[in-house]
Amino acid sequence: MKTDQDTFLYALSSNNAWAGYKAHQNPDFFPKLASGQSPPILWLGCSDSRCPETTILGLQPGDVFVHRNIANIISPTDINTSAVIEYAVVHLKVKHVVLCGHTACGGAAASLADTRVGGVLDTWLTPLKAVRAANQEALDAIRDSQARIARIAELNVEAGVKVLMANWTIQEAVRERGLEVHGVLFDIATGRIRDLGFGTKPGGGAGAAGEEVRGRHAQLVFRGSNASMAAK
Amino acid sequence: MALLKTRIVAPSLMLQTSFRALRRPNLSHALLSLSRTISSTSPAAHPRSPHTLVDWRTMAPQDISKYLRQTHDKVFEHNKAWAAEKCSKDPEFFAHLSAGQNPEYLWIGCSDSRIPAEQITGLEAGDVFVHRNIANLVCNTDLNAMSVITYAVEHLKVKHIVVCGHYGCGGVKAAMTPKDMGILNPWLRNIRDVYRLHEKELDAIADEETRYNRLVELNVMEQCRNVIKSASVQKSYAENKFPIVHGWVFGFHDGLLKDLNLDFEKVLADIQKIYNLTES
Ligand SMILES: [Zn+2]
Ligand SMILES: [Zn+2]
Repeated sequence: MKTDQDTFLYALSSNNAWAGYKAHQNPDFFPKLASGQSPPILWLGCSDSRCPETTILGLQPGDVFVHRNIANIISPTDINTSAVIEYAVVHLKVKHVVLCGHTACGGAAASLADTRVGGVLDTWLTPLKAVRAANQEALDAIRDSQARIARIAELNVEAGVKVLMANWTIQEAVRERGLEVHGVLFDIATGRIRDLGFGTKPGGGAGAAGEEVRGRHAQLVFRGSNASMAAK
Repeated sequence: MALLKTRIVAPSLMLQTSFRALRRPNLSHALLSLSRTISSTSPAAHPRSPHTLVDWRTMAPQDISKYLRQTHDKVFEHNKAWAAEKCSKDPEFFAHLSAGQNPEYLWIGCSDSRIPAEQITGLEAGDVFVHRNIANLVCNTDLNAMSVITYAVEHLKVKHIVVCGHYGCGGVKAAMTPKDMGILNPWLRNIRDVYRLHEKELDAIADEETRYNRLVELNVMEQCRNVIKSASVQKSYAENKFPIVHGWVFGFHDGLLKDLNLDFEKVLADIQKIYNLTES
């Protein structure tokens, strides 16, 4: 048994170990970080603790600019997400925007239930409720509840990508410098990311040679219906 | 704003720590598995207690190597023993991650690519619920961040909420630039408000970088206050004595987190004079 205080101090003490390890392994690591960021990827994902984006992608600090919210909902008038998109696309000039949903998503499950979640959450989940209403029959036809949650998570990504593609800042960057938008799903049980084929390359890039998102230490590869990670 | 030196010591609340090591075959390159192994250690596995942190920067190179080898050897041993024990007790342990999450932390941090919450804290998949936005802001009318706080506190019952800023924050600098930044204006305005609250203190700092760094700290403290103003935090604390809110700042130069030592109970009491949302 550990006290509450131990739990809290754990994060601080392991940060110390991490910093020592990183600096020892590569003395330039922190000086380089301090000099600025030019991440190739903007990640829009769920706040869920099981989806640590940089770890999932096998990437390193400096590689992924991140926004995570409840159920990775992209709402057109949400100032929080809009500010992130504007900063990442216009000021940092990221090359890829990745919207990632995931299996076993609590937000997705809540949107399939017929009870109030409470507080501000019901208002936040409204876009997901609309996705549910638009696909009610198809969703009802899925007997397995986890499969139904995974399916609405996919539909949610599809809806979110549509909102992203309608964003003026993104449209301009797609036209002027070939910014790419991807919609993917993370399967928590297997740790794999699947390209759902929405966005700037509809159809999941099937037949294409494959798209690589390069980080400093690894790369995310979009190929066919799959996205995978490869270490450099 | 008083930065009290006393670290809050929580009531004798006993919690289960959950240092889960998630093994994913496609993430098994050496670096990750090494950092993962570090992260799956318990505090006891570190050679010194967190209060007497080893300063590797003042060590001779051969001492650093020795220190790291020792810590890593220890960590490997602990991890091996721990993983074997978990598996022998429950072969399904690692599969359970897909069944649900039970994080003890909510992390509210900056979107900045250089601060992946899990990696810098050594926390595992499943340990920390994460919200990241431009300049780690918590605004009363932002349903996005407020939904995250509500869900984390009321549904996941997190024990700690960490607002983590960082020195050299581009969002904070952008906010103080005299320029029309379009859709960024309404968001970044909150940082100018923080400056106005602490105008005298900040204006008195001659060096620009020092002044920005102080603004980063003050911004973190202000966002902690905003977290504490929420109904879910106030109600949960009255009932359960958690969550506790912490303000941290990450420094790129050394990769270390600095605890601003927010006196949670005092700040909560101050805030509830005006912002009390509990019925007590
Ligand atoms: Zn989720
Ligand atoms: Zn920042």
